[in-house]
Amino acid sequence: MLAALIPVLVLLAVLGLPLFVVLAAGALIATRADGLDPAILIIELNRISSSPNLIAIPLFTFAGVILSQGGSPQRLIRFFNAFLGWLPGGLGSVALSVCAFFTAFSGASGVTILALGGMLYPMLRQAGYGELFTCGLLTSSGSLGILFAPSLAVLVYGIVASVNIDELFLAGVLPGLILLFMLYAYSFYSGRRFHLPHHPFEWSNIWPAFRGSVLDLLLPFGIIVGIFGGFVTVGEVSACTAAYVLFLEVAVYRTIDLRRQFISLVNETAILVGSLLIILGIAMGLTNLLIDAQIPMRLLSWVESNVDDQLQFLLLLNVFLLMVGAMMDIFSAIIVVTPLILPIALHFGIDPVHLGIIILANLEIGYTTPPVGINLFIASQRFTKPVMTLFRASLPFLTIMLVWLLVVTYLPWTSLWWR
Amino acid sequence: MLARLQQILTRLETLLAGFCIVLLLGLTLGQILARNFFDTGIPAADTLSRLLLLYITFLGAALAICSDRHIKVDVIAHWIPQTWRDRLYRPLFSVGAAVCLLYTIAAVRFWRDSWEFAAEHERWQVLLDLGLPVGFGLLTMHFLCCVMCGPHRRPEITCTTC
Repeated sequence: MLAALIPVLVLLAVLGLPLFVVLAAGALIATRADGLDPAILIIELNRISSSPNLIAIPLFTFAGVILSQGGSPQRLIRFFNAFLGWLPGGLGSVALSVCAFFTAFSGASGVTILALGGMLYPMLRQAGYGELFTCGLLTSSGSLGILFAPSLAVLVYGIVASVNIDELFLAGVLPGLILLFMLYAYSFYSGRRFHLPHHPFEWSNIWPAFRGSVLDLLLPFGIIVGIFGGFVTVGEVSACTAAYVLFLEVAVYRTIDLRRQFISLVNETAILVGSLLIILGIAMGLTNLLIDAQIPMRLLSWVESNVDDQLQFLLLLNVFLLMVGAMMDIFSAIIVVTPLILPIALHFGIDPVHLGIIILANLEIGYTTPPVGINLFIASQRFTKPVMTLFRASLPFLTIMLVWLLVVTYLPWTSLWWR
Repeated sequence: MLARLQQILTRLETLLAGFCIVLLLGLTLGQILARNFFDTGIPAADTLSRLLLLYITFLGAALAICSDRHIKVDVIAHWIPQTWRDRLYRPLFSVGAAVCLLYTIAAVRFWRDSWEFAAEHERWQVLLDLGLPVGFGLLTMHFLCCVMCGPHRRPEITCTTC
């Protein structure tokens, strides 16, 4: 009887029931089946909040929301345009750089396309970039900076897998840069091929653009120095980032009027944090029940009997994660899938830090893949284009990202070079 | 009437969430300053941070219900017409209300046990842990309000980026 409820839950989930309700119902069914008191689920939920790194999530989210509602996007576009806009296809590279920078702070929740898409789309079109190229570029750029500090996705994986977040931030740098340079190369190639106009390089543009955005550009450096210099923890650096960004937008640039915008800022932050952490808290209870029922162990013995070596496992892992990424939001995918995959990956000798980068890279690609690649839907709303047109437009970028995924998966040193 | 009540509740929750975010920010910055400049720490800062995090989570989750912005695996939902999505709204949110109600009951029992077995000097912490049952209660109430108001009556406080 209880087992029959599982397909019903799956059906409700695909019809649009909030994921936390699906997981909560699943956990209730599991406790009932095992004859346990549902109060244990509350204990697990209470326990998760004691994770020291968890306070970084609301504070980095707050910083991201302030940045997106302030004047940071305009300042960054001006800076990257002065530095890269003179190259063939330079404006494409500008879009890629700004999106990567912005996504690292905004947490790839679709804010990048919403906040930057509206500014970059007309810029690219006026510069002579084709409609399909522009849509594809902006749609796939929405999740580009996911591996860079202080990405929320990295934080969530670190908390779920109990992996050192400092190491994850370090591991994401090279894979993130490789993807960025591969896409720069494609933009450069497109610029040459379609003879796209680009402005001449002028030193006189560089200084004002740099001066206008230097305080924004200091942010990632501050985070890296703060964490790796041993001055502050991840949780503390998130508070410094939020305070710095607030000071910048309210007192220095005056792009945010706190009296008018405070409600909107905290409402957006609370919604983003609440919708993520409630899943994390409830999934922890469910995960423990799955471990008690030896589900990961059974999965491991099945994989052991069907998969011979690490290479084969990684290939299957990529296919599985791409499917998950195409059907689930990145945060829920990390929370649900990581506890099941981690013991199997360890069995095949995969480093948990490298595994984190593989998982995030796959899910980053899933953002732009139907049926529910969130970037496709947000871009569809922003640019009023059908989802399938945007998917077609994103295909060259997706192909490049798939090649990058193979590099990141099968060359572990790209993530672990610093060891 | 119900929509008005939900709107007031939403505004209160937003203000409370804002207060918790600002307090969490201040507390964490205060800890850094206290540790680096005075070689000390703020008493019970860790417990307070944990509780504030819990409050922000529940308040944010309640606000996400009102604006229908919870994370979903909506493989089919994106592809079905709006009229059908509207028809599914009430049944789906009723399931949400039922599940949250069961969690509220479990949370009340958990809190009652914690209160009963807590030492006298730890009682203030258990009192602040009331956020758990109250949080699930809020989620249940929001789901019920949404079921009764229907899919087209959403509170006015929504994000400006969407």
